[in-house]
Amino acid sequence: MRTFAILCLWLGCISLALGGEIPPKPAKYFNDYANVVSSGKATELNNQLVEFERASSSQIVVVVFPNLPPGSAIEDYSQKMFTAWGIGQKEKNNGVLLAVFVQDRKLRIHVGYGLEGALPDALCRRIIDNEITPHFKAGSYEGGLAAGINAIIAATKGEYKGTGVTVNERPRGSQGQSIVPIIVIFVFIFFLLKLIGGRGTVYSRRGYRRGGWIISSGPGWGNSGGSWGGGSSSRGGGGFSGGGGSSGGGGSSGSW
Amino acid sequence: MKKLLIGLGVIIGLIIILVMIAGGSYNRLVSLSQGVDKQWAQVQNVYQRRFDLIPNLVATVSGAADFEKSTLTEVTEARASVGKVQISNTAPADSAKLAEFEKSQTQLSSALSRLLVVAERYPELKATAGFRDLQVQLEGTENRIAVERNTFNNSVQSYNTAIKSFPAVFYAGFFGFKEKPYFTAVTGAEAAPKVEFDFKKSPAK
Repeated sequence: MRTFAILCLWLGCISLALGGEIPPKPAKYFNDYANVVSSGKATELNNQLVEFERASSSQIVVVVFPNLPPGSAIEDYSQKMFTAWGIGQKEKNNGVLLAVFVQDRKLRIHVGYGLEGALPDALCRRIIDNEITPHFKAGSYEGGLAAGINAIIAATKGEYKGTGVTVNERPRGSQGQSIVPIIVIFVFIFFLLKLIGGRGTVYSRRGYRRGGWIISSGPGWGNSGGSWGGGSSSRGGGGFSGGGGSSGGGGSSGSW
Repeated sequence: MKKLLIGLGVIIGLIIILVMIAGGSYNRLVSLSQGVDKQWAQVQNVYQRRFDLIPNLVATVSGAADFEKSTLTEVTEARASVGKVQISNTAPADSAKLAEFEKSQTQLSSALSRLLVVAERYPELKATAGFRDLQVQLEGTENRIAVERNTFNNSVQSYNTAIKSFPAVFYAGFFGFKEKPYFTAVTGAEAAPKVEFDFKKSPAK
């Protein structure tokens, strides 16, 4: 009974947490949803970030929103966006999220596990205080964002080696891995039926039915590491696809 | 004869299928349980990080002229009591153990946030770069703690759900897969407590 209550509580928490509606995966590296940056500058900054992933494999995503959803803290919200979008490469966790909320006058640099060494919290705070917010205070979002991006790139440069392509530009791997066991099971069942001697169609039909059942509930079910960017519409042209990196909540927040 | 063979084949096939399903779900329980332990290590990691920051913070703060001593001793004592809690490297199995761990850490959290509130009153302390960096690090650590606790609870949840689901529910107890406890306090409890001024103290009830 108690466990049931706890479970209910948990489900409640989850639905509440999901109620903080995380925005969908951004199409680009530089995303200005608040229209504070000219489109020319936005493209330029986006290209800079694309180039940086090619060179270093580190993913830096910038999002500028008009405001935070009511009742959510910037740290928590940034963490959720980071996780949902999988910023950084999966094995390296080398992602950085720079989130700005214009009306709240708040911003945060959120750092993936793999870049905590290059971008410690105190350095994030210094970038915010010394590079970004002076421009924001003067009303120049372009200047602040450009300076912030430059500082983040300068700090994380050389930390990881790039492959020359971004996750988005990489040829999508075939899904062969997950098909192999299914094929094995089908072949196995086929031979079993052959062995039995295909007299009754009834047996074979049942056999196949059971076969289908194994596939859906046998080993290796459950989401096998969220395949990222499946069916993304923005391939090419500086589009962003997350590499599946995660963050432990490093970074720093500030306001102006 | 042929019928018998067919029957035998079907039974063997069924057994193989059942074993595969049970094996798969057993392996899944093992990896989920390992996942909880791994996440527990992360939780301990971030708490340790905070633990290690404190001597530095205390040294910096006590350097400030006539800094309020009571808040400092409170932090030092809370840290000492955190150090006394014996906790294993694997996720605690019973909720009492986890509650004890959590209680000592929460005491330290509130002692620390009181210290930071008091520090606001010392402008010359706040102006030093050393203190500002420590403050940022402490904030970052508190945030990491919130994140790792949350992830821990999520991994415990998927483990607990798995041992209660078909087919594991039939044998989970037999193989010693027991329900694991959650962190209970809401994540908001990690945030600085509100400083309340009781000007009109209501009469005791």
